[in-house]
Amino acid sequence: MIDRVRGSRGALPRLAPLALVLGIAAATWIWPAENADGLSTANPDRSAATQVDEAFDALPPDALVLVAMDADLGTYPEIRGAVRAAIDDLLLRGARLAFVSYSPEGRAIAAAELERRGDSAALLDLGFVAGAEAALVRSVSDILPAGAGAGGEIASAIRSGGSGIGAFDMALLVGGSDIGPRSWVEQVGTRLPQLPMVAIVPTFAQPEIAPYLRSGQLTAVLATARDDAAFVEVTRSGDALRASDVPSSVAMLIGAVVALAAIAVALAGSIGPAGSAASSPDAAESDEAEP
Amino acid sequence: MRRSLPAFTVVLVGLLLLLDFALINPLLAAVSDALLELVVLLAAAAALAGGVALVLRHWTDLVERRGDPLGSLVLLAGFAAILLAGFYPGSGGATDPAVRWLVAALLAPLIAALFSLLFFFLLGAMRRGVTLRGRQTAVMLVAAAVVIVLLLPVGGLLGERLAAVSGWALAVPIGGVFRGLLIGVGIVTAVHAGRIVLSVDGHDD
Repeated sequence: MIDRVRGSRGALPRLAPLALVLGIAAATWIWPAENADGLSTANPDRSAATQVDEAFDALPPDALVLVAMDADLGTYPEIRGAVRAAIDDLLLRGARLAFVSYSPEGRAIAAAELERRGDSAALLDLGFVAGAEAALVRSVSDILPAGAGAGGEIASAIRSGGSGIGAFDMALLVGGSDIGPRSWVEQVGTRLPQLPMVAIVPTFAQPEIAPYLRSGQLTAVLATARDDAAFVEVTRSGDALRASDVPSSVAMLIGAVVALAAIAVALAGSIGPAGSAASSPDAAESDEAEP
Repeated sequence: MRRSLPAFTVVLVGLLLLLDFALINPLLAAVSDALLELVVLLAAAAALAGGVALVLRHWTDLVERRGDPLGSLVLLAGFAAILLAGFYPGSGGATDPAVRWLVAALLAPLIAALFSLLFFFLLGAMRRGVTLRGRQTAVMLVAAAVVIVLLLPVGGLLGERLAAVSGWALAVPIGGVFRGLLIGVGIVTAVHAGRIVLSVDGHDD
């Protein structure tokens, strides 16, 4: 009997992560984003969103925009809403978009985004280019893949503009942990200083990217979840996107509360007398004890 | 003074690309373009060699029943599916709809699902980190807690204050440390490159 009680006590902590996952899933299903009164992921300071909007406004009619999709699958969900809003907004303004990737993960994301939109005369897939920054430099003079052939209207427009990145009116840089806006500023911005570059990156890249915005090498940057949410709100495509593609603020709040609770429990365990780390058998592995 | 072939090649290519960046010269531009082509080709060849090595390794594991045969089988099946979709007669290659569907409907959701578990793995790692390296982990956890509080998705006056403080934290302390690191890395890289060019080190490899 005692063994059974002990066994059931041991099973509870093992089931806790599963219960946590199911609990969060249930909570976000019960309270979707549109019912989240009082919650907001949008930054009250909408200057970043406004800068991107102004950069889009400055585009000529039938603009040719290069979407450099080099996000990574780990951080893409954070910026997905803003990226989709930006692409939809550009298409609504009549821009023609060409997608290119210099990282394998970026290529996977670009393929998924293109598949989501289906075949369109306003979209061109330039595919994946191997060679990282060397390929980026090479694209300045030639970005059309060998198989592009006569291509469609967009390929012809790129060809008539010199076949390189200089043929585009703007570059929309979707960055992640691999090749990102910094590489673009260093390799392309120095060779084509007149090309406007707008970047959408996850929060972790913000400190790296911010100086390039201040120096004017990047035209506009969306770099935090709040900036992204503000941008989705100001775009023309925002209403259609908000319900389905923007992360639920309730889900974010629940995740944050769970993480804070877990941190509090871990810290309490590390400083409390009963759960002291030093008294744990694992503490023998501590590198603090090493000379 | 001993100078190895790889170090000599790196110095030569680096100087050529640097000169092409600074000077407008058709011959220099042609040489630089050719070098860049070569680098792109080398990168593609390395990726191909990596793919072949991966297939051979898992094929051997599967035949000899080593490691995780089921995992090897799934990997080889995935590899075959992508190759088939990209190489069937009349296929459009990487832009073929079948390849796009495989990537968009299978690969991307699978990897996204794996990454979605990161939150829970991090919670587990945090608990273990506190046990193993109490002091350092505690500092990291306090910083993480502060960042989470600043990024809480709340509206109203509290949300505005939190957004203002998080913007300041990103721009000033975090940005300062990050830029300091980048400047340090840049200086060390430049010094190291200079030492190679000037053969200051006893060995260049």
